[in-house]
Amino acid sequence: MLVALVGLLLLLVELRRSKAEGRVGIALTGLLASALALGALLRPVTVVARGTRVGAKVLVLVDQSRSMLLPGAEGSRDETARKAVERLQKSAGEARMTFLGFGEKVEPLPPGGARPRAQRSDLLGALRSVLVQADEMPQALVVVSDGRLEGPGPEQIGEALRGLLPGKGVPVHAVAVAEREPKDASVRAVRTAGAAVAHQPVSMTVEVGCSGGLSCESLPVAVRELLDGAPPALLSSGVARVVDGKATLELQMTLDRAGPRLVEVAIDAPEGDTIPENNRRTLAFDVSRERVRLLHVAGRPTYDVRALRNWLKSNASVDVIAFFILRTERSDVHASDSELALIRFPVEELFTEQLPSFDAVVLQDFNAEPYRLLRYIPNLARYVEGGGGFVMVGGPEAFLGGRYQGTDLERVLPVDLKQATSGDTTFDLAPVVPRITEAGQAAPMLAPLRSLFGNDLPPMPGVNLVGDPKPGSLVLWEHPSRKTRSGRPMPLLSLGEFGDGRSVAIALDGVHRLGFSEFAERVAGRGHGALWDGLLGWLMRDPRFEPAQIELPQGCAAGEPTTLRVAPLPGTSGTLSLEIFPANERKGPPAFRGEAPSTGKPVDLPIGALAPGGYMARVKIGAGSGARRAFACEVGGDEWADPRPDRARLGAIASSTGGRLVDASDASKLSFPQALEINAERSVTPLLPPWFWTLGAALFLGIHWLFRRRGGLV
Amino acid sequence: MARWQGGWLALAAIAVLWAAWPQAARAFGDEGSFHPRVLLTGTASWEGARRSGSSQWSWELKRRTSAPARSVPTAVRADTSSLLAEPFVVWAGEGPVAPLTPREVDNLRRFFAIGGTLVVDDAAPETGQFGRDVRRELGRVLPDAAPLALPETHVIYHSFYLVPRPVGRIEGAKKVDAVVRGGNTQVVFLAHDLLGALAVDPSGIPAFAAVPGGESQREQARRFAVNIAMYVLCSNYKDDQVHAPFLMRRRGRGVP
Repeated sequence: MLVALVGLLLLLVELRRSKAEGRVGIALTGLLASALALGALLRPVTVVARGTRVGAKVLVLVDQSRSMLLPGAEGSRDETARKAVERLQKSAGEARMTFLGFGEKVEPLPPGGARPRAQRSDLLGALRSVLVQADEMPQALVVVSDGRLEGPGPEQIGEALRGLLPGKGVPVHAVAVAEREPKDASVRAVRTAGAAVAHQPVSMTVEVGCSGGLSCESLPVAVRELLDGAPPALLSSGVARVVDGKATLELQMTLDRAGPRLVEVAIDAPEGDTIPENNRRTLAFDVSRERVRLLHVAGRPTYDVRALRNWLKSNASVDVIAFFILRTERSDVHASDSELALIRFPVEELFTEQLPSFDAVVLQDFNAEPYRLLRYIPNLARYVEGGGGFVMVGGPEAFLGGRYQGTDLERVLPVDLKQATSGDTTFDLAPVVPRITEAGQAAPMLAPLRSLFGNDLPPMPGVNLVGDPKPGSLVLWEHPSRKTRSGRPMPLLSLGEFGDGRSVAIALDGVHRLGFSEFAERVAGRGHGALWDGLLGWLMRDPRFEPAQIELPQGCAAGEPTTLRVAPLPGTSGTLSLEIFPANERKGPPAFRGEAPSTGKPVDLPIGALAPGGYMARVKIGAGSGARRAFACEVGGDEWADPRPDRARLGAIASSTGGRLVDASDASKLSFPQALEINAERSVTPLLPPWFWTLGAALFLGIHWLFRRRGGLV
Repeated sequence: MARWQGGWLALAAIAVLWAAWPQAARAFGDEGSFHPRVLLTGTASWEGARRSGSSQWSWELKRRTSAPARSVPTAVRADTSSLLAEPFVVWAGEGPVAPLTPREVDNLRRFFAIGGTLVVDDAAPETGQFGRDVRRELGRVLPDAAPLALPETHVIYHSFYLVPRPVGRIEGAKKVDAVVRGGNTQVVFLAHDLLGALAVDPSGIPAFAAVPGGESQREQARRFAVNIAMYVLCSNYKDDQVHAPFLMRRRGRGVP
C-alpha cells in the first residue's frame, strides 16, 4: 500500500514538473494500474457478519417473607416491592433481568397478588442456591427487601456476600421498600435456657421493643399457659423497662404437666400501637420429664399394692409419693398413737396445693368417702382435664365400691359407672382370665407385655363391675363372659383421654399375678412391670407408646393453608382421624376435622387456614389411642416480631459490593453493565477473482507505458 | 388327744363362722390378702399347738390394721408349684431339718427369683438346731447371699408399730439376721418362736407362756408379727421420705 502511494506521489510530481502531452491519461492509467496492482497484492474481499447485542444478566431477588406484609413506602412492603419490580422492568433497557422470590428457599417470583408466606428471609441461602445452579454468572444483583434478613448484621453481611459472589465487580444493588419505622410495641424474642422439664423452673429471656416514636417506658409482660377448656394459667409476669426502644426481661416459669404445652408471652402495649398482632407470641413446648412424679394412694395394703409399689420403687425414672391406709376407724391397734409409726393422711394438702406437682395419681382400691377425699374429687377431675394422668386400680373399694359413680371423677374415667349394675353388688368374685381385645392386640402400650406372654394372661381373682366404655375410650382387656347392661363385654382394662389428660381404669386387683405366680415365673416375674411400663408410659405420653408422630413441615401461619404430617407407628392400620382444637377457655367444636386411610406410612393432611392462636392436634388411628401435638399459628411470627425496616443492612449489602442503595421509588435509577456485541455468523467473499487484478494491473501498466511514451516520458 | 381334736373342731367352727359372717370384702377371693403360708419340706407336716399361730397372725393383722388377711392359712410344700402362687411363706419348726431335695431347691430359687419373702421361725431357739439347719439349706438355695444382722433402723421395726427389738415366745437375740437381695429383704431368720407367741389353744388362751416378759412380751411379739406382715404387704413404704421426719421426731422423744 505504501509503495503504491509513494509511486502515485512520484507520478504526480513527475507530471507536475513535465509539460508532456496526455498527462491526464498518464495519471489515470498510472492510478488504475497502481490500484489494480494493489488489488492483486491485497486481494480484497467482502465480509458479511451477523451478530447480536446481549444485555447484562441481572438477578433481582425479591423478599417473600411475611415481614413484607407490614406497612411500606407505597402500601405494604410487598406492594412497594412489586412497584419497584415494575420500575426495574421498565428501565431495564438491554439488561436481562430474572426475577426471583426468596424466603426459606428461592423460587421464581410469584405473580402479583400472591401474599408473601415465608417464615424467614434467607438471602445468603438464596444466593448460594442460585449461584450454584447458574450456568451464566450474573453481572449484577438487585435485592428488593425491607432489610429484615436472616444471617449476619450490617457489619458482617458484606464479607459474607463477597465470599459467595463469583468475583470482583459484581455489584449488589439494594432497593429498600420501607423507610419509616411503624409505631409499634412488640415481643421481639423469647428465648429459653435449655429444654422444658416438668416441675423444673425454666429461665426465659423476653426481649421487647418499641419503635416509631411510640411512647412506652415500661411494658408489662405476662407468661401464661393456654389450657383446653380452662382459663389460661399465669406462669410468670414482670415489667420491662424500655431504654432506647428496647428492653430485656428475665422470667422463670414452671410447667407442671409434661407433654405438648402451649405458652403465651404477651405485653400490654400502650395506646397507638399499630401492629397488635405482635404483642403476643404463642410458643409450643414439648415438656419432658426428668422423673415421673407419681402419687400412689392405696386403700389397704395387699399383694397387688405390694407389686405396684415394688415396681414403682425399682423404676429409676419414677419419683413415687405413697400413702397407704394402714388403719381404719374399726382397727383396734391396742397401742397409743406414740407407739405407732403412722402419720395422718394429708388429704387436703395432697389434693389441693400439691396436686399440680404430680404427673400422675394412682388410686388403688381406695374409697374416697371415709378419708374426706370426696370434697376434693372435683380438683382431681380438673387435674386430669388439665393434663394430669390418673389410674384407678380395682379392688373391693374401687369404682362402685368406692362410690365414685356420679362424681366428677367418673367424668374422667374411661368407663361408665352409672350403667354398671342395677343391684348392690359392686364386684364379681369369680376368677377370670381377661380377654385381650383387638385393640389390645395392636396397642403399643401392651407391646412389652405381649412380647413376654403373647396373648396369654393368668387367671385373676374377680373383677369390679363397671359399665360400658365411654365414647372414644379404648378397651384393651375385657371380661370373657360378663356383659354390661347394654350387652357389651365388660371392660377390664381401658384407657381414655379427657381434656389434656389421660386416665386408665383397671377393674381388677389381681394384676400382681403377672409378677408373682407360676404363670409369671416363666418370664422371671417381669410381666407386671411390663404392663405398668406400658400403661404409665402411655399415661405420660412416652413416644414409644404413642400411635403416631405429628409434624408441621412448614409450620403454621395464621390465615394460610397449612399441612400436617402424621407418621403412624409401623404396623398400625385403620382410618386415621384428625381433629384440631383451639386452646380456648371454653370448649368448642374442633377447628378442623378430617379422616384419611392409614397404611402405616407418613401421610400429609391439608388442614386449611387457621385463625391465630394455639392449637392441639389430636390424631387417632383405627380403634387405637390418640396422639397429640401442640402448635401455634401466628400472623407474623418471628417475621413480625421486630417490624422495623433495616436500611443499614441493605446499605451494607450495596456498599460492600459496589452497588447502590435506592428507595423503591428510585428503582429505575439503577444502572447496569452495558450490553455486549456478540457475533454469531461471518462470511468472506473475494471482491473479484485474483487473476482479474493481476491481468488488469498488467493491462493498465502497459497502457500507462504507452501513454508515457507518447508523452515523452520514457 | 381327744381334747385336742375337739379343740381343733371348735377352732375350725369359729373360723367358718367368722368367714361366713357378713363383713366387708377384704380382697377379691382373698388372693391379694396377707397369707402366712407354712412351708413344708421333705416329709415334714404342720401339726401341733403352733398350728394356730399362723391364723392368729392373720387375725391380729385384720384386727389391728386395714390389711386383709387369709383367715385360715394353709401349708404349702416346697416342691410344688403352689409355692409360686403367693409371695410369702413361713418356714417354722424345731429340731433337725432334712436336706432339701433338688426339686425343692430349684422351686425355692424360683420363689426368690420373682421376689418372694420367707420368714424362718425357729420354734426351739433354745437349741437352735432348726435355725442352723435351715441356714445350711438356704445356703444351697441362695449360695451368693449370706445372712446379715438387720440394723435397728430397718423398716421391719417401724412398718406399723414402733418396735424396739424382735421378740417372740422367748425374748431371744436383740437383732434378727436376714438375707437381702437387690435391696429387698427376702429371708428373715427369727430365733424367737414368733408363731409360738401367737398360738392359742382352742379356748383362745395363749398356748405357750411368753418368757421372761409374760403378756407384755406377747403383745410386743404380736406387734412384731404385724410389722412383718406390713413389710410383706407394703415393702419399705415406711422408709419413704415423707414418713422419715415424723418417725425421727417420734423416736427422738424416746417413744418405743
